[in-house]
Amino acid sequence: MPAVRPARAGLVAGALALLAAAPLAADENLLGSVYGAETLPRGRWEAYQWVTARLGKADGTYSGWDLRTEVETGLTDRLQAAFYVNTRAHDIHGVTGLEDRSSFQFQGVAAELKYRLKSPYLDGYGLALYVEPGYNRVERVSGEVEEELELETKLIFQRNFLDDTLVWSVNYTLEPEWAIGTQEEHGEAGEEHAEEARRELAEELSTGASYRLAPRWFAGAELAAHSEWPDFSHREHLAVFLGPNLHYGAERWWWTLSVMPQVWGWPDGQVSGLQLDEHERLEARLKVGYNFR
Amino acid sequence: MRARAALLWLAPPALVVAGPLPAWATVYLTADEARQAIFPGLAFTRADLELTGAQAAEIEKRSGVTVRRRALSLWRGPAGETFFVDRVLGKHEDIVYALGVGGDGRVAGLEILEYRETYGGEIREPAWRRQFTGRTLADPLELGRGITNLSGASLSCRHVTDGVRRLLATRALLLG
Repeated sequence: MPAVRPARAGLVAGALALLAAAPLAADENLLGSVYGAETLPRGRWEAYQWVTARLGKADGTYSGWDLRTEVETGLTDRLQAAFYVNTRAHDIHGVTGLEDRSSFQFQGVAAELKYRLKSPYLDGYGLALYVEPGYNRVERVSGEVEEELELETKLIFQRNFLDDTLVWSVNYTLEPEWAIGTQEEHGEAGEEHAEEARRELAEELSTGASYRLAPRWFAGAELAAHSEWPDFSHREHLAVFLGPNLHYGAERWWWTLSVMPQVWGWPDGQVSGLQLDEHERLEARLKVGYNFR
Repeated sequence: MRARAALLWLAPPALVVAGPLPAWATVYLTADEARQAIFPGLAFTRADLELTGAQAAEIEKRSGVTVRRRALSLWRGPAGETFFVDRVLGKHEDIVYALGVGGDGRVAGLEILEYRETYGGEIREPAWRRQFTGRTLADPLELGRGITNLSGASLSCRHVTDGVRRLLATRALLLG
């Protein structure tokens, strides 16, 4: 798959900028990493652009950029669907264990279904089920091409307090991933190791709260504990991220920014208390959403 | 294959973040227009109130709704009618609405003066507002219990419904 040339990326960016200039703004994300239980009303459409920056390893210079362009619609008042096109960029220089690279590549596609079981406004709490099958072709940390299929599943809980000015959400995510392609592409030390590397389970428990500071403005904090289980058999690592978030919502568009440094990781390496082989020192995410009425 | 190209993707969100669009403002009715719509031809006298802490606490007890503002904008009519202009929290902005209550304590009408949310403009439709007409504090007056929800505007529907219950409790306590 060829990388996207800067000129083409510029055209896409320009088109999105025009979209941004148009007067556009239900499943509005108050948090960067944690989902709420609400869904889009039936027949409504929303477009998102996500930008996630993953910055810093134990040494050298490292930045990974995950870009998601999403279109979402309400199939019913309780069921919403979304489609994602993902790209990924890396700038890696002098990081132990990784090849230097500067790349911008097509990453893959994904689809999403989210079903709301309970509404925080009607039932006292919100509860939703989420499933997102996807195809990925660029390895998250190294930027190397490694095709895989994944199935992200999520249980979403939401509870509002203080006349709905404080929104608290909890997500539990299980995401099995299966490598596709030849064993030679994935194996490193023999067939047994190759088989082990061909499937993995990512698990994440995340929670966050956001408080309405003023009309349109929300601020809060969120926490995510992420671990991975190669071959679905043993926990390989665990990394905990914690940080603030800020949200602005207008009539037809909104943005959310979260900045989450890694606060604890296992097993650690060159940097005490941080897991920097599979994760980075900092994850920052900006989401911009537009509601088409 | 340059990572710099990725930075171009930051342009759209940067434009949005750096240059927020002007505030939107949708005022559908003035207070006078709403009062004439609910009580056509009647003359009203302004009779604003400032609740005491004890009164606010009693209203909260009777209605089950938090009193966020103690200053009340209201008008009294010739036969004990009461016309309130009040505001409740919407998802992004306040929703300004007017409630007319007859001398018998029944809701005479509900009007939405200002609504600025992404969804739920149907809250202004007569079909939704008519649900309140004739209700008293003794009637079921909660979202999902007596008042139907509008999809995509659940927060707005709940807060307006709670606001009506709070104003009925206010009237019963202070003006009944």
